[in-house]
Amino acid sequence: MEGQMKNNLGKRIVGTLAIPVIVAVVLLSLCALGGRSMINTALGFNNFVSYTAIVMITTIALSINLNSGRFDFSLGAIMTLSSVIGAKVSYAALAGGEGSAVLMFAVTVLSGIVLGLISGVIYVFLGIPPIITSLGVTLIYEGITFTITQGRYLMTEVQNDSMRACRNTWIYSALLIVAVLAFIIYVFDRTRFGCNYRALKEGQKVAVDTGIREVPNAIACYTVCGGLMGVVGFLYAVRTTNIDTSALNFGSIGIMFTAFLPMFIGGYISRFSNEKLGFFLAALCMSMLNSTFAVFSNEIKASTQSIINAVLLVLFLIYLSNEYRIKAFFRPIRK
Amino acid sequence: MKKTLEKEAVLRAYKRKQLLITLLPALALAILFGVLCALVSSKGYRLDIYLKKILNEGVVLAVVATGAIFIYSLGSFDISLGASTLFSATLGVMAYNATESFPIMILVIFGVAIGCSLLSSVLASVFHIPVFVTTVAMMSVLTAVASQIISVNGGALGGISIPSKLVRPLDTIEFKLLMLFGYAALCIFVFNFTKIGRRLKFLGGNANCAKLSGIRADRYAIVAFVMAGIGVGLGAFLTLVYTPSVTPTTAGGIGMNVIVAIVFGGMPISGGPRSRIYSALMGGFSYILLNNILKMLISGNAGYGISQIVSAVFFLAVVYITGMNYRTKLLAR
Repeated sequence: MEGQMKNNLGKRIVGTLAIPVIVAVVLLSLCALGGRSMINTALGFNNFVSYTAIVMITTIALSINLNSGRFDFSLGAIMTLSSVIGAKVSYAALAGGEGSAVLMFAVTVLSGIVLGLISGVIYVFLGIPPIITSLGVTLIYEGITFTITQGRYLMTEVQNDSMRACRNTWIYSALLIVAVLAFIIYVFDRTRFGCNYRALKEGQKVAVDTGIREVPNAIACYTVCGGLMGVVGFLYAVRTTNIDTSALNFGSIGIMFTAFLPMFIGGYISRFSNEKLGFFLAALCMSMLNSTFAVFSNEIKASTQSIINAVLLVLFLIYLSNEYRIKAFFRPIRK
Repeated sequence: MKKTLEKEAVLRAYKRKQLLITLLPALALAILFGVLCALVSSKGYRLDIYLKKILNEGVVLAVVATGAIFIYSLGSFDISLGASTLFSATLGVMAYNATESFPIMILVIFGVAIGCSLLSSVLASVFHIPVFVTTVAMMSVLTAVASQIISVNGGALGGISIPSKLVRPLDTIEFKLLMLFGYAALCIFVFNFTKIGRRLKFLGGNANCAKLSGIRADRYAIVAFVMAGIGVGLGAFLTLVYTPSVTPTTAGGIGMNVIVAIVFGGMPISGGPRSRIYSALMGGFSYILLNNILKMLISGNAGYGISQIVSAVFFLAVVYITGMNYRTKLLAR
């Protein structure tokens, strides 16, 4: 009995860590073969942690609604608009002085929450498929962003000592990773809301028939997603030292495509451990890949990187969707 | 007797409402056209120039959206259509520049467009990958490859092109309308008068039931993608006829605009028996008309943002009204 438990635990640990370890070994070997190191400066490490945070939080935000069959194109638009509001308000209040970053973070997250809430209310009120609602909401939020900024990059508002201090350390990104993971694991795995969310995800009709209130649950999901995208918006502004507000006609939806591969990898890892931990490990893999691309940026163009990411996504999905066939194929050989 | 009469009255009222909802997209198109004409004449602009501009913008969107109806009727959706259009046009231009043969260019454009669609459908049906994810991957790959080809061959110009004299004779309203209505007629025939259309709608309405009835979902998915590929090829060709050069941003917005156009035209995104070919035509031109009207009304740089907000609100309102009869107790997914 004890042996079986140990065996199960061992299997879970191996299953959880297999992909990140394999990715790390492959990418570190590639870097070593090229005579370079994956991360060789302090700024490189800051960027590594910051990118991990961005990918992990975006993946969690995408998965919350997507796992429930609600496709949300508006994540990128919420991210940009909330960070624009945060930057404008903090600059108006403190003119880039001390505490600007803290104020911008608070206002950006709050704006994200409000924008997510509005998005959820529109979805519930209109009663049309969420994919269509999100198309309309994306256009509206992009339009508002463009109207506020005239489509110009925001730089003055986010280039100050307070923001630079955030950029020069990895601590804040790491703290955000821990805080977001703890919050999401608590809310979705340890509360009644989380239980209702899972029930609605697995069987919408049965859950509603048993008395679970779907509308508040859906609105809360959109609100949480909005808040998370507010965090991503702040991290992006810190990382890039500007905010690109020129996106119109669905130009903002690109951010969600970066979260697809980590979402599926995280889903695979969740067979062995917690799903959110899976998202973190998947984001770590994506960050390693991103750092390797940065190391080989002279050899591998941005367009080639997109192709590699897309091919990896397809290959991983082919494996996931045909796992039982692949295993069946190798079974006779094992015998 | 009285009860039967009451039932008939209710049925008649329901049918009237249904008819109104069905005609709403056509009504919206007519109203938007009227508003455009009134605006153009009130501002003293030339109507013929505006109509030509709208036709040029609308015909590519309408053609691609018409083909996409086959995919959407299955309840799937494809956001790589814009990228496929760009990729087909890019390889078409490359083929012409290599061979200087117009027929080869057309063959390459259609071959590549259908090939891209086939690849998406084969990945989805043979490897059982969700269609949407396949199209996301295809969009990334096609855009990246096309951008690389254009940046390598375009040099400082930032784009690749064919001689404008080659396509100038085709850049006429008559030719474009002929292409649009010819393709729409083919799609209407296949969709409404053959078993392909009926089965696609059946699969979109209830995939399990259709499969239990012996319909091969993977086979019909491939047919749907091939029909969409023809639309993409035609869209790429008409794009080149209008502008004989290709840049990385060519046809950039088409992938998402197709979804908006189809929904605007009154077709449910879930596909099924309420799928209609004319939704793409109505929706495509309505969306382009609306955008042009708003651009005329709201000038200045910020006007782009405001016109997009108004356009989105209008879009949501139209979808809300056309979907009023299909509300359920559960939230839509």
